[in-house]
Amino acid sequence: MADHHKTTEPTVHRHEEIQRKLALKEERKHHNVSFVMMILLTIVAFFAIWSDKISDSFAVIFILTLAVVQVFFQLYIWMHLSHKGHDFPIWGMASGVLVAAITVASLMGMIWTS
Amino acid sequence: MNAGERLTDANFPAHPEKATLEGKNKFVGFWLFLGGETVLFATLFGTYLGLRNMHLDGPSGEELFSLPLVFLATMLLLTSSLTSVYAVLSLKQNKVRSLQGWFIVTLLLGLGFLGLEIYEFIHYVHEGHTFTSSAFGSAFYTLVGFHGGHVLFGILWISTLLARNWNRGITLANAPKYYLFALYWHFVDVVWVFIFTVVYLMGKVG
Repeated sequence: MADHHKTTEPTVHRHEEIQRKLALKEERKHHNVSFVMMILLTIVAFFAIWSDKISDSFAVIFILTLAVVQVFFQLYIWMHLSHKGHDFPIWGMASGVLVAAITVASLMGMIWTS
Repeated sequence: MNAGERLTDANFPAHPEKATLEGKNKFVGFWLFLGGETVLFATLFGTYLGLRNMHLDGPSGEELFSLPLVFLATMLLLTSSLTSVYAVLSLKQNKVRSLQGWFIVTLLLGLGFLGLEIYEFIHYVHEGHTFTSSAFGSAFYTLVGFHGGHVLFGILWISTLLARNWNRGITLANAPKYYLFALYWHFVDVVWVFIFTVVYLMGKVG
């Protein structure tokens, strides 16, 4: 029994370690992919304005959408919101964003109507 | 185990940043802080959006802003966000030297960003766009300057954190601190994404 214990424990440990390494490798890949995506989104946003080829009102909606997508990459992949145990942070940020949206809308409204 | 003790590969926990109660509290508290920061920046964005066309006799955003400069600054900050996430990956592998290296790269990119912003502001002041020149000027410098202040604070934070823990390795006491700095730095980049979109790009289309 004792012998059995000695032989299995290191293998279990090594198995866990390999899994952890693989998970980290996967995570690094996600980080690299999201970096490339964010660079592309930035270039597209700048190009949309720079080239002056699309109408202004559409360009504004377009670049705002790109910004929101890019922020999702930041929050979910780089700030690990997609990982386990992030329920509270998600609620915290979601309520922050909700209050922020109301704040922006009401401030703009107040200044415009005054 | 003493939280200040250098961790070895054998006793390294899967989540060193949340292995102690203090680490867990810092993690939750910091996210709450970031939620509050979101609201804080929203007030500045809302004010800017309302006042951005009120430039009186001074130059308008369309005349002032130079997109190549903003693009370069964006790339610097975006890359620094990537290097800080690499530092967190090193943290998870107990590689303290690589963590320090990536955070130093982050620090240098942050300094580059700040240098560009200072250059930009000096240029604008020469063009007649100052804090007191118009409502647009006040709103612009408050919003963009407040973000620049966050970058400066981050630079000071990571410098002192690295210097203080240079020879300590990764411990249960300093792992949450490194981790939270990376979160803060990503958040600063998140705010910048909206600044380059709302202030600079939307400023160009009027």
